[in-house]
Amino acid sequence: MNKFLAVFKREYIQAVRRRIFIIMTLLGPFLMAGLMFLPTIMMVKGVGEKKVAVVDATGELRDAVMNPTPQRSERNVPSQVGALQKKRGSSIGSGPVQIEYVDARGAKDLKTVEQTYFNRMTDTSTPKAKKLDGILTVPADSFDNDKARLTYYSRSSTDLIAQERVARLVNHGIERRRLISHGIDPEAIDRLMKDVQVDGVQLSASGEQKKGGELNFLIGFVFAALLVIPVFIYGTDIMRGIIQEKTERIVEILVSSMTPMQLLSGKILGLAAVGLTQLAVWVIMASALGAYGGGMAAAAGINIMQFFHASILVYFLVFFVLAYMTYVTVYAIGGSVCNSDKEAQQLIAPIMMVMMMPWILGGAIIMNPDSTLAVSLSLSPFFAPITMFMRIIVADPPISQIATSIVVSIVTIAVMLWITAKIFRIGILSYGKRPTIPELWRWMKLA
Amino acid sequence: MPNSVLSVQNIVKAFGSVRAVDGVSFDVRRGTITGLLGRNGAGKTTSIRMITGIFLPDAGRIEWRGSGSDNNAFRDRVGYLPEERGMYKQMKVLEHLLFLAEIKGRTGPDVRRKAGQWLERFELWDKRDSKVEELSKGNQQKVQLAGTLLHDPELIILDEPQSGLDPVNMVVVRNLLRELRDEGRTILLSTHMMGEAERLADDIVLVHQGKVVLSGSLDEVRGSFGKNTLQLEFEGDGSFLTALPNVVKANVQDRSAELSLSEGADPQAILQAAAARLRIRRFEVATPSLEEIFIDKVGSDSLQSVQPAEVMR
Repeated sequence: MNKFLAVFKREYIQAVRRRIFIIMTLLGPFLMAGLMFLPTIMMVKGVGEKKVAVVDATGELRDAVMNPTPQRSERNVPSQVGALQKKRGSSIGSGPVQIEYVDARGAKDLKTVEQTYFNRMTDTSTPKAKKLDGILTVPADSFDNDKARLTYYSRSSTDLIAQERVARLVNHGIERRRLISHGIDPEAIDRLMKDVQVDGVQLSASGEQKKGGELNFLIGFVFAALLVIPVFIYGTDIMRGIIQEKTERIVEILVSSMTPMQLLSGKILGLAAVGLTQLAVWVIMASALGAYGGGMAAAAGINIMQFFHASILVYFLVFFVLAYMTYVTVYAIGGSVCNSDKEAQQLIAPIMMVMMMPWILGGAIIMNPDSTLAVSLSLSPFFAPITMFMRIIVADPPISQIATSIVVSIVTIAVMLWITAKIFRIGILSYGKRPTIPELWRWMKLA
Repeated sequence: MPNSVLSVQNIVKAFGSVRAVDGVSFDVRRGTITGLLGRNGAGKTTSIRMITGIFLPDAGRIEWRGSGSDNNAFRDRVGYLPEERGMYKQMKVLEHLLFLAEIKGRTGPDVRRKAGQWLERFELWDKRDSKVEELSKGNQQKVQLAGTLLHDPELIILDEPQSGLDPVNMVVVRNLLRELRDEGRTILLSTHMMGEAERLADDIVLVHQGKVVLSGSLDEVRGSFGKNTLQLEFEGDGSFLTALPNVVKANVQDRSAELSLSEGADPQAILQAAAARLRIRRFEVATPSLEEIFIDKVGSDSLQSVQPAEVMR
């Protein structure tokens, strides 16, 4: 126990004293906020305006296209995103669409009219202000012919949101015209066709209601990042630490003075404590920022505190430690079998890619926290802690699953530690080439 | 063996098809210096790693007969200086020493005071707050030696403690080891420097190709090798000495030679023959040196494959 403490203390003090730790602790939240919100901001702002020409052979849709009823334009956008976009007063996924209306009524040949706009779309010499991203053509017989089709030309086939939006505007105009031609009063039409807005409310098993589910999405990601980032930083640290002890030959003294288990658990938990210290600082900084951010959110009508139950914090601690230990033991194995940082990175990179699955699939898990994928990942070794925590944040998984997930994680960690300790003694002293899998297997049986 | 602190019985360690240590047995007597001798690659370090618990032997037993009975007692009562020195380069000197004591289960003001004493003795007290990496190699080595001794070990295991030391520090270490022995501590000293072993060791264990080829007290070992040894120092080319009649074995270097004579040969005859062609500066009929015994036991065939520096030093 004393030896474990000696190693624990040394790891902790040495790590906390390092300049990089202090810098990361102070700047981490800002870097993370940047990473987190930059893509969102870019999605909102950076994509820029789309310019679409509506070539209308009926010549009657100017009003419908140029002065749409406001809520119309936002229908059919995925609800999570749509709700966010309302709050921000702009749209996510695609910038605003600027429509240029072309009255092509009576044009003999729609194709020739279209052609000039095609040129503006495809010709690279077109000045930026006149450049078109898409063209929607409306045939003259749109109001009467059941078989009439709108055509959308665009430069990128993935520009579905702009297409959807413009088509919807035009369709709305067409529907309206058809109704009017059946003698219905235009004002009545507008009133009757008005959308009813949807509010997302998450219902938990305890019957509690939360509004503003779309924030869950973000908060799920923020927490998952808090879970994952320290693992990456300190996982590599522990791998380097072990390799350093090997290359600098300290390990002989360590291993001759204690069991590999004492050494490993001291190192791993020491660094876990470093991670927790960093998190504690972040939480304090975040609560300071949160007072400000919470005020902003409250102004937007969301009580942000509803996401920060004491239980969430407890779960966070539990799953942080579990996730951390799971990943770090893998890094420790990497460190024990390799002789240089470079070699270890090469070995560990593909393994980490697999281990990061919950993170890579984070969007899918957060959107569908009760899907088979999410549930099975949250109950499988290695993936359990991060996936389960994401699920807890956004949904309300049954206690039995949470318990299973915790047990699975603990067993995984215990098995990994056991394997690492076995491999450690031999791996740490063997130089030269990296062992093959059969050799590793033999080590495990031998040690 | 009575009075033994450590008993090594028939230990074996193979790496793949190579039997690095092949049935080595010896005892380390309390209060003595035992020299574990052999060429590089003879199996010294592997044996020591098994004794210190870094490797588990494939076969055989290692018995600790010092104080305490469990494994931890052994770990804590041994001070080990590995062949390749290793320290945390980023740690401060004093901090590092205290860490080394702590992993041996020693903490508190007493250890602190002792660490200070060692640093003063090695003239490193001023550097106690420097990072290890800021120290010169020799000083790092001294810090590591202090770390080996700080927890007051009963058995001190030193793997090539003098490699890389300058002559002055070599004397410092030599005197320190004698002093420790005189305090009643037991030392197992692995070295390929026969001269040092000769000056320090009470007992020797000579290992070659994983096997013990010779062991016993230094006096016994020397006694068992006849007295027919000549030591010569001279000026001139001494290569012909090898070919003189009655010379069974010769170790001829630039200005000195060690000759083993056949039974009943007359050393004076050799002196005359040598004086005829060389200027003799010293002539001595002596007991064989450890180096000579070593070469005798290990065989001259291996000399050809060995760098002279490794064997002759």
